[in-house]
Amino acid sequence: MNYKLRHVTTYRYSKAVTFARCALRLTPQQGPDQTVLTSSITITPPPSRLQERIGQFGERVVTAIIDTPHRELRIEARSDVAVHRASLLPGFTGASWDCVREEAAASVSLDMISPAHFIYPTAMTRLNPAITAYVTECFQPGRSVVEAAHALSCRIKAEFTYDPDATLVSTPAIHAFKARRGVCQDFAHIMISGLRGLGLPAAYVSGYLRTIPPPGKPRLEGADATHAWVDLWCGKALGWVGFDPTNALIVAGDHVVLAVGRDYADVAPMGGVVLGPGDQTIEVAVDVVPGNETQTLEDEAWRWARSRA
Amino acid sequence: MDADPQTADLAPSHDDAASARLKGWLEDYRPFTDAPDELAPPDGSTPEPWLRFLRAVAAYPEGEFAERFALATRHIRDAGVSHRIYGEDSERIWPLSPMPLILAEKEWTEIAAGVEQRATLLEAVLNDLYGEGRLVSDGHLPAAAVTGSDDFVRAMRGVKLPGGKPMHLYAADLGRGPDGRWWVLGDRTQAPSGAGYALENRMVLSRAFPHLYNAMNVERLAPFFSDFRANLTAAASRTDPRICLLTPGPFSESYFEQAHLARYLGFLLVEGDDLVVRDGVVYVRTIAGLKRADVIWRRVDADFIDPMELNSSSHLGVPALLEAIRAGGAVVSNMPGSGVMESNALLSFLPALSRRLLGEALKLSNVATWWCGQPAERELVERNIDTLAIAGAFGGKAHLAVARGPRLLADLSPDERSALRVAMHERPVDFVGQEVVRLSTTPTIRDGKLQPSPFILRVYAARTEDGWRIMPGGFCRISDQKDARALSMGAGAQASDVWVIAEKPVEKISLLAQRDGARVRRITGNLPSRAADNLFWLGRYLERAESTLRVVRSLCTSLMDPDAATHSAGETLDKLKGLLVDSGAVEEQSLGHRVTDVAQAALYDEEAYGSVVSQVRSARRAAASMRERLSEDFWKRLLSLEARLKEEKQIRMSESAGLEQAETALQDLSTLSGLTQENMNRVAGWRFLDMGRRIERGINTSRLMRKLADEDATIDDLDLLLDLIDSQITYRSRYLEGISLTPVRDLVMLDPYNPRSVAFQVITLKAHIAALPVLQDDGMPEEPTRLLTRLACQVEVQGAAALDGPQARAFEHMLLDLSDSITDRYFLQGANATPTKKLGGLA
Repeated sequence: MNYKLRHVTTYRYSKAVTFARCALRLTPQQGPDQTVLTSSITITPPPSRLQERIGQFGERVVTAIIDTPHRELRIEARSDVAVHRASLLPGFTGASWDCVREEAAASVSLDMISPAHFIYPTAMTRLNPAITAYVTECFQPGRSVVEAAHALSCRIKAEFTYDPDATLVSTPAIHAFKARRGVCQDFAHIMISGLRGLGLPAAYVSGYLRTIPPPGKPRLEGADATHAWVDLWCGKALGWVGFDPTNALIVAGDHVVLAVGRDYADVAPMGGVVLGPGDQTIEVAVDVVPGNETQTLEDEAWRWARSRA
Repeated sequence: MDADPQTADLAPSHDDAASARLKGWLEDYRPFTDAPDELAPPDGSTPEPWLRFLRAVAAYPEGEFAERFALATRHIRDAGVSHRIYGEDSERIWPLSPMPLILAEKEWTEIAAGVEQRATLLEAVLNDLYGEGRLVSDGHLPAAAVTGSDDFVRAMRGVKLPGGKPMHLYAADLGRGPDGRWWVLGDRTQAPSGAGYALENRMVLSRAFPHLYNAMNVERLAPFFSDFRANLTAAASRTDPRICLLTPGPFSESYFEQAHLARYLGFLLVEGDDLVVRDGVVYVRTIAGLKRADVIWRRVDADFIDPMELNSSSHLGVPALLEAIRAGGAVVSNMPGSGVMESNALLSFLPALSRRLLGEALKLSNVATWWCGQPAERELVERNIDTLAIAGAFGGKAHLAVARGPRLLADLSPDERSALRVAMHERPVDFVGQEVVRLSTTPTIRDGKLQPSPFILRVYAARTEDGWRIMPGGFCRISDQKDARALSMGAGAQASDVWVIAEKPVEKISLLAQRDGARVRRITGNLPSRAADNLFWLGRYLERAESTLRVVRSLCTSLMDPDAATHSAGETLDKLKGLLVDSGAVEEQSLGHRVTDVAQAALYDEEAYGSVVSQVRSARRAAASMRERLSEDFWKRLLSLEARLKEEKQIRMSESAGLEQAETALQDLSTLSGLTQENMNRVAGWRFLDMGRRIERGINTSRLMRKLADEDATIDDLDLLLDLIDSQITYRSRYLEGISLTPVRDLVMLDPYNPRSVAFQVITLKAHIAALPVLQDDGMPEEPTRLLTRLACQVEVQGAAALDGPQARAFEHMLLDLSDSITDRYFLQGANATPTKKLGGLA
């Protein structure tokens, strides 16, 4: 499946900002499951310096410096991506999770996708006995890792309420866990924290999800959102498999990957520092248009939407 | 009797008392039965260097040893040698033992060789982990034994390090095991602390016992630091580089040490906000604009060093510092990520890695350690769970029970124990089992007797072009526990100096540049904006304290005046009290209190922001964040003034006592101002300190003039005004006819020859600003210059007769504007550097 992506972020400041330094992780991941056909980032006002580098887990990071005074900063990322990821075949359920854990601890690779990077807790995915206990209920000794993880992802979907007002972008897993509500970022963090609590290598994935419009209705532009889910390393044979606890799905062709890291902080699409005395507001709009849809992205009838799904 | 220890040292003491003392000490000395001791080796002898030391100590007449040490210690206390426990406002006095740890050269050679080998090994492992990663891919080191460390900085993998070396300073913590051999207990590869304390300890002991120190051939520390500095300098790409010590700031536990090292080594002490990265190059914000920072010796942990790429909540770091390293624009040492070598998990692999990488066994073994991330090791730990200590594989974060270091299961409560067992079962990768280390003991003096105390020795190594150089000495921490297990070394430890005794006389060297290498310089670079800011405010606070003290003094004098006719006492008192309320020294509701109570509050009330004690405290805080720029005498005086003000507040004060206390404090302040006038270099720093003083004095004098020399001012008011601005004598010598309004106004406001007048402050300020650097070379005056020129003209042409309250207020406002424009132009929080905030939120 091919996708046209458009992701526009607009910062508005109450007082002029004289200097901004930002790090953008807005270029989709290039890999065996996904090919980036075209990709561009447009920043207004134009940056005085723009650099691209490969980040710690292989993500493409664009750093920009804007040193003209501005009250509004607009960042528009566009790309065309072909996703080749196939659904996991039935029966491919991987080794038992206990074996996967031993395999991960014995990993002999420091490569960016080595499971060894994803075993340990981080600031946003601290271990917590309550979360670990919750996850353990799906991980009976000897159970297949894929089966257990999918069961967990279904359980989160069933028992947690999707509520954009319950959490902030900086909320650690345990708060959302206690409240039993949150958004995709929170569900991913909870699942990661629990899996790592068992010693399993789990990663945070930021990206997009194709949304299917209600039957008979056109897709609303800008109504899509950035998304987040979990990659779990399921042993040498299977490698990384994506689980989406927000939708109780095993990740396949509908998900487009931006970046993979240990938690949100590693992959935040937008980060940086600005010099400026005032307050800021942020608006984000995202479009994920499957390549076979004829709808064009050129028209400017934007609907602003909350971005975190 | 000749008490000179040097003579005493050369010949056996013929003084009976001394011999008896020595004999008594040695006979009463009771080392632990289960641990080796420095003074009492197994063969029953007393090591020669110890004997020489103790003999010399015994030769001091009764009490002199303690007295000498107390004097030298007082010197450190007064100089503020103390370390701050994070989150605590007051500084803890840092205890030093009068007894050094004494090691003979022969023994030291072994230690040094072992530490040198270990530094070489750790450097090789670091180079591999951040380079090719062969140790992992070839199966010699599990990846998960590396990735668990918060200090494994993935962003540094594959980066070509500017300067080439991952570590310039390394330290090893050593203990002597039951078999008498030295063991490595832990490695300090991130930002080893304590070297500055070692220097300070040496200063105290060599000052307390100079003859003894010289007679015993103690190896000097200076050449080590000189080498360290030379090699950091060589790492830079410019020939005359600017080297910065990046500190987490005055709230850091070892801030004093960092300030001390910066001053000793001639480095610029900076905080994260002082630095800025532009186009891959690091700069210091100075009063002359951005100046290149070539080398950054960091004391900030890696995770906090760059909020752009690492921990984004850090306020201690420098955004884009990693980018600068990648671009080759700055040497950051030790490299961010070097701390990965400190984790316990790696200890278990080092013996094998040494054989693999160096082709030889470790010369100093480290504590036997088993990482539970491997099945066989995990089983071994489980089998020996009751005899091994359990520790976090990557520091204390693994589990609450081991948060503060290795623990024996037997020492835990049943609940803690079972929680720990569960955690070890769920995530074995987080834990190691370690052999329980017993430490040897060294003699210290407690209650007038020699007592054995367990100790840990930290030894430092500096990277030079051709390998590692070991500091002959170190930082020794002594436990006050009677338990020699390493894991009981906790808080409450003392420090002691470490004397390595050379077999031949040592050359006296200090940190003097080689005779041919020294380049003459008169100014040591541009003043950082932060330091300028602190100096400016130091000046303002000191001046405020002084003016409040003068009001208090007048208040007390008025009360004591027997001739009520010369002072319409009630009115004058009310005015004085009003001044104290205006300056925030006392609260308005306290005006009804007894006058002496008001005076007392103005001096000592720590709650009131304008009281003398508060102003002095603010001055001390401003001074504390740039201690390296102030002379030791200045700092000592300021500390003792604050301490005295805090002590004195207990006593209920009479007016004469109040007068005396105010007088004494005024004398202290004039000593401080004398010290700055006589001892500070006439460079930018001094100018900012003086500008702060001048602006404050100008503002204050204008205010006083408005209150006390308005149209219906009485003779008493004018008299008081002359007192408050210390111009009584000048006036009387100039105007024999007595006090009248216009001459007073002229003297107070306009007279350029009176050092207390507003005109004098303005002229001085003008000279200061003119001597400071400008940012642009377009010849246009900067804002402070423009404001000041206008003010100076107005003051110059003003006539005294027409100088009324509103005009004085106008001068006052211009001075306030000047202060703002100085802030904007020179300081960090000025317009050039509005507070940074995070770009983030929804995404």
